[in-house]
Amino acid sequence: MNKPVLILGGGPAGLSAAHALASIGQKSVLVEKEDRLGGAPILSGYARLVPSREWAKDAIGGMVERVAGNGLVDVRTSMTVKEFSGEPGNFTARLADDSTLDIGTAVLCTGFTHFDPISKPEWGFGTFPDVVTTTQVEQMFSSGQGVRCPSDGRKPKRVAILLCVGSRDRQIGREWCSKVCCTVSCNIAMEIREELPDCHVYIYYMDIRTFGLYEDLYYWKSQEEFKVKYIKARIAEVTSDGEKLIVKGEDTLVKRPITIPFDLVVHAIGMDPNVDNMLLSSIFGVELQKHGHIARASTYSAMGATSRPGVFVAGAATGPETIDDSIAQGQGAAMAALAGAPAIKAAAE
Amino acid sequence: MPIHEKSLIRPENLLTHENLEIEGVDVSGHWSTFIESRVVTDYNEALEDEIAALPGGENIHRCWQCGSCTNACTVNALNPDFNPRFWIYLVRVGMEQELLRDKDIIWQCVSCHKCTYVCPRDVVPEGVMKATAHWLELKGHRPKSPSMLFDEVFSEQVFATGKIEEGRTLRDFFKRTGQPLTQDWLVEMIKRLFRHIPVKLMITLGLANVIQPRTRGWAGPRAAIEEYVEEQEARQRQALGLDRPPATGAERPLAEAAE
Repeated sequence: MNKPVLILGGGPAGLSAAHALASIGQKSVLVEKEDRLGGAPILSGYARLVPSREWAKDAIGGMVERVAGNGLVDVRTSMTVKEFSGEPGNFTARLADDSTLDIGTAVLCTGFTHFDPISKPEWGFGTFPDVVTTTQVEQMFSSGQGVRCPSDGRKPKRVAILLCVGSRDRQIGREWCSKVCCTVSCNIAMEIREELPDCHVYIYYMDIRTFGLYEDLYYWKSQEEFKVKYIKARIAEVTSDGEKLIVKGEDTLVKRPITIPFDLVVHAIGMDPNVDNMLLSSIFGVELQKHGHIARASTYSAMGATSRPGVFVAGAATGPETIDDSIAQGQGAAMAALAGAPAIKAAAE
Repeated sequence: MPIHEKSLIRPENLLTHENLEIEGVDVSGHWSTFIESRVVTDYNEALEDEIAALPGGENIHRCWQCGSCTNACTVNALNPDFNPRFWIYLVRVGMEQELLRDKDIIWQCVSCHKCTYVCPRDVVPEGVMKATAHWLELKGHRPKSPSMLFDEVFSEQVFATGKIEEGRTLRDFFKRTGQPLTQDWLVEMIKRLFRHIPVKLMITLGLANVIQPRTRGWAGPRAAIEEYVEEQEARQRQALGLDRPPATGAERPLAEAAE
């Protein structure tokens, strides 16, 4: 295929797709709306990644470097696509600066948006400074500062992590499980216990979904080696007595209401569909599924196909996804993008 | 607010007052029954560490509340209030008062170890029950159980002499548990013994009762055991925040023997 593949989004899936295409000699144009590549792990300042415990800036940074330095990948940062038209093998994309690209196929690697817990005011985010998100705790670690209460910088003695904030909640239209937050929370809990051994960490859960091999590596390990405590309760509200945060709910295993004081409350925020998905849907002519993620046309026969032939999708754009699966899907979509162009098809036949 | 279902509330949480006036309103009598809050307001974070410091309790932090132990439990089949899963949770979370409500049944574990075999996380719930019962005694929430007293009599004698002399063990055990020596079954057993036992053996038994023989060269092992036991007990007392050895232990025969 002579024409390049358009890759939209420079996160793990997009970087993986670009690298896969370049490694077999295929040109691509990587369009990223932010001013640098790396996606959520870099832009949101994640710390150590699951499951390798590599720092995000090293692991994803490495992916960025091998793409940024590659002559077959035309990287356009701080750029978006305005219009998209044509047929598979012969698409035209008009960019925000009104330049146009002739491309063969496109891969949407547009990722997700972190849930904003301001939509759940009863849990105190935005009201109390010591109520933070998992992303903020990641930043506390990646900046080297360590876990501190934002209100006065003290080391917390007791931390509550609330799971399913922005997930599994019909009240706010989030009817999906965000898939990664349980494992991420176990990881964060262990890191807090590692940094502050005197700090007690409690995880409030409805179910623990550390799927697959994360069961013993994260859930069991956090209990057995790091003495993290798990309380089966969905929290009703987070308030304050002026000094401490007060977490209220029902401990469902003892059938008793609880009002427990904490220094720091962490919301394990879920993965929303990218806020730009409606726009992307109209520009690229791809359908969204009912929750607002980019719909996949086929689960089994075509990797990463969307409702529009020649336009493919990979990573968290299709729904909550892990980094390693996003990378795998990026490679799968790269393959599909090659096969989806008529020139390649003709050559193969 | 009227209470329609008092049976749903723990009796000790129901309060009525003979004469009580709040802000000029008479709230006396059972028409003005109050309910004490059942809200859990804090966790006692020391509790799990205390149980984990006692033999058997080491793996309590592994529990994920699946309930396999309670399902398998021999005692639970007879008494639904005997619920190892629940107590493990109370200890883990630190709900001490809630745990103490069941202090009179926790020791009933029969150590059948069915729970040990079913537990998917290898918590060893039987050990946790043992540790919890021990904790209740060390903290003075319960008197020492007869089996604990027997263990003490038995081990103290072995530690002191390197031998076990049944007559003495029995006498000491009866003494500590406040039982009379003249129990029908015992009298009958001794009568029959006298009737059938060879004279030589009877003399040996009698002498053993009087002179308390010791294993030859026992001083060395005894000192080592004594040191180990003291070490362990000191560690447990420290973990439980107890300054002195448990009060009910009386003077220790071990110390007597050493003199």
